[in-house]
Amino acid sequence: MIIVIDALNRHKFPKLLDEMFKLRARVFGDRLGWDVNIVNGRERDHFDDLDPAYVIGLDDDGDVVSCVRALQTTGPHMLADVFSAILDGEPPIRSATIWESTRFCVDTKRLARGTGRNTVSYATCELMLGSLEYAQASGITDIITVIDPLMDRVLKRSDNAPYDYVGKIADMGKVPALAALLDCTDERITRLRNFAGIHHDVFVAEDEIAAAENFDSAAENNATPRVCADLAQYCDDQISTAATEKEKYAALRLRAALADRIRSGSGMRA
Amino acid sequence: MHKLPGVYLDYDLFDLGALPDASEDFVGFLFNIREKFGLDDVAYAGMNPINGSVFGHVTYGDAWKMHYVEHGFHRIDPTLQKARRSIAPVDWSRLERDQDFRRVFDDARDFGIHDQGLTIPVRGPYGDIGGLSVTSSLSRTEWNKLKSDVIVGLQSVAVHVHDMVIRSDSLSNLLKTPNLSQREIEVLQWISAGKSQQDIADILTISNRTVEVHLRSARHKLYALTTAQAVGRAISMGLIYPG
Repeated sequence: MIIVIDALNRHKFPKLLDEMFKLRARVFGDRLGWDVNIVNGRERDHFDDLDPAYVIGLDDDGDVVSCVRALQTTGPHMLADVFSAILDGEPPIRSATIWESTRFCVDTKRLARGTGRNTVSYATCELMLGSLEYAQASGITDIITVIDPLMDRVLKRSDNAPYDYVGKIADMGKVPALAALLDCTDERITRLRNFAGIHHDVFVAEDEIAAAENFDSAAENNATPRVCADLAQYCDDQISTAATEKEKYAALRLRAALADRIRSGSGMRA
Repeated sequence: MHKLPGVYLDYDLFDLGALPDASEDFVGFLFNIREKFGLDDVAYAGMNPINGSVFGHVTYGDAWKMHYVEHGFHRIDPTLQKARRSIAPVDWSRLERDQDFRRVFDDARDFGIHDQGLTIPVRGPYGDIGGLSVTSSLSRTEWNKLKSDVIVGLQSVAVHVHDMVIRSDSLSNLLKTPNLSQREIEVLQWISAGKSQQDIADILTISNRTVEVHLRSARHKLYALTTAQAVGRAISMGLIYPG
């Protein structure tokens, strides 16, 4: 499942964003050894203060398993600044219809190998699909993305090879980084969908995820019998009134999570 | 390679940068956008951070403009204050129907202005920000169809009008010098020598689409909507030789 979080809705998803910054610290700091700033186990830089959009992948339990960050190339962005070594002193590309994508990563520890749901390959393809479709719907025709050679190979293996590269390969700590170009066309999206065997809408309704996030904290803070009964009733209502398979699935998942909270709540009272 | 949408060729919008005194006719440009894209109204608002000046140009009628300013709606209008913090175009259905939204749009309705619309946020390299807002009274289905048809073109004109407005502000004149890469100059030089995009791709051994990317970036930096304009300006600035 893919969710897009930006300055307009991020107040609803503090936990998902925190998980995302922790994932970035594990990937770019610990695993790849990039020269990034990690505070308190979270990787952030000043581009995160510029209201970027994050495309985030969640597994079936609703945990963050992948993420990528998008910025407009007309405004401040990484290739114009910290990644300028890639451009070898040349000024960056700027265009109304080109976005820059950075910090693409997938949680290889949490996810299984192989293919099918909740695997590294599936999560990678799902995130790429989510980014391409979000950009395309926004009137963006091309994405310039800063990646390492490993991700470059992953893109090629997924029938999603960049159509070209800009600048040169530059050192970013232990590994080199490069800037690749991807078109946001129906042709590329179809190729990627066929490769991954993903034929459904990858985006999840924002309200479902926000509800899950709120219920999680409500249950943790105050698991009184009254609240639990109300929540259980809410879930049953959601399940019986679900209009689509996806809604029903989300409601069932919520009730499963909630059942766990009710048990731990009564345990504490005993 | 895939053909890029011909946004620059399909819309014969006149080019603001080509006007002798561009600041005179921002509103004319917005009316032009309204006609070309089949919209109800078009509005631009932007801010230059260098001196804090705020600019607004709209196709709305005078009565609504006066009412809007008198009530200080620009300070609470969520299509300005909230939408500009997104990187993607914001359909107004995404904005929360909170107190600020209702204050602006309850009044707007009395002036015949709909709350169905879209704001395209623009960010410039120097912290300058702006937004192009458009409204439509089409049915929801027709509106969604129109949006997907015109979104690429709207992105381009939004950034174009923003750049022209910010550039017209004399204090930002210092920032006008276009910063073209060697590749962008090379591509323009070959265009002026009469080569096609495919010729240039073959000469430089890059893909046709990459040539297009450099060309679009060059047009943007030269404030040009068309390639011919970009070549003309590059020649006049001494960036390339006449072909």
